[in-house]
Amino acid sequence: MSAQYHPLVKRLLDGELSLAELPAELRPEGEAALRLIRSVDRAPVTLPAALDARVMATVRRHAASPVRRAWRRLTAPRDVELRLRVRPWTVWAGALAAAAVVVLLVNRAAAPSSPPRGPGTQARVGSHDSVYVRFVLYAPGARRVAVAGTFNQWDQNAALLEPAGTNGLWTTTLAVPVGQHQYAFIVDSDRWVPDPRAPAVDDGFGRRNSVVAVVAQGARTL
Amino acid sequence: MTALRSALLAAVSATIPLVLAGQGDVTARLDGRVPAEVMRAVHDIAAATAARGLPVEPLIDKAIEGGAKRVPADRVIAAVRALANRLDEARRALHDGGIETPGADVVEGGAYALSAGLGPRQTSELVRISRPPYDPATSLRVAATLAALGVPPKQTLDLMESMIAAGRSPSDLLDLPSAVQTSVAQGATPTQAANGLARGVVHAPGQAPDFVPPGQAKPHPHKP
Repeated sequence: MSAQYHPLVKRLLDGELSLAELPAELRPEGEAALRLIRSVDRAPVTLPAALDARVMATVRRHAASPVRRAWRRLTAPRDVELRLRVRPWTVWAGALAAAAVVVLLVNRAAAPSSPPRGPGTQARVGSHDSVYVRFVLYAPGARRVAVAGTFNQWDQNAALLEPAGTNGLWTTTLAVPVGQHQYAFIVDSDRWVPDPRAPAVDDGFGRRNSVVAVVAQGARTL
Repeated sequence: MTALRSALLAAVSATIPLVLAGQGDVTARLDGRVPAEVMRAVHDIAAATAARGLPVEPLIDKAIEGGAKRVPADRVIAAVRALANRLDEARRALHDGGIETPGADVVEGGAYALSAGLGPRQTSELVRISRPPYDPATSLRVAATLAALGVPPKQTLDLMESMIAAGRSPSDLLDLPSAVQTSVAQGATPTQAANGLARGVVHAPGQAPDFVPPGQAKPHPHKP
């Protein structure tokens, strides 16, 4: 239960005003508040003399518990010094063997026994650090547009572009692994076209490949 | 000496399975993607390339690309062989630039630079000036991209040198190709764009390069 007293009544309780100084309509409230205050036992609280001793006895009993001591020994951090005495060649041999195992495992993970195709290529791409890159080509009249490059093993069925309306723009967004990639668009399944908005290099077969660099912050023409 | 012999033995033992695994990887990755004669030829070229300590991944990629583009087998093999030679040439250029044992990334960057039109000497010079905090592989790729955008090799090298000499951050180098593209889109030739960027670096060291192509500048305000 709580009572919200008028501010003037609160000043009365604080001793700043007397009952006579309250407006007449507030005096009953003031008298009730004073009666309530007078009814409270204002004698100082004294703690029993034996309380300290009881509390300390309980603390000592807990501290002396063997279970707790064992738990503390198991969990408390401590300094441990280990000394190994080895011949240098064993370290080199061990390190090289470990490196060989790591490289073999990495090779195996990076090179599946069969070439990835279609959706498999996409899944593999997604397993690396990759960035979404939007590819756009203006190809009015095209019936099919795809993009292929080093990021999808030059698979012309892995990434099809969708027409963006009827204005001849084709677009798709792909997760491309971080790194530098060469790519080209394939129009109607047989015409390889470099990206007119990207730098291009000789592909070694008499055509041009576009170049895109994917860095952690996004794609750059690098 | 005993320890040294043991270490060498361990190194050789560790290397043999790696080379064998790499060769098996070439065959597996090309299987079904290129004709059998291409697969055999690329396998041999890759083995020889790996034995010289050069990366084989670009060779595999090139063969797969040729297969996807339905390029005749002899031309695919020729392209892969040419790329292997370029990797060799790149390594020599890197060596001349001061890198004794370049990693795969730098070698590939060097080959990319040579493919884009930079000469071996320019490649070496670029590597020589790309000391930390600059990364030679990144510098090579930036320069190659500038060349691919049509910036002549000499202007490419001049621009890179001016950026590095002015102490621009490595990430500023990465922004150069897009800055050139922007200028070209505004009407400048690639040469004008590169020269303008280089002038901007010289006149305002420590700031991002900014270039306005001829005829694109805002008129100076007239005093009343």
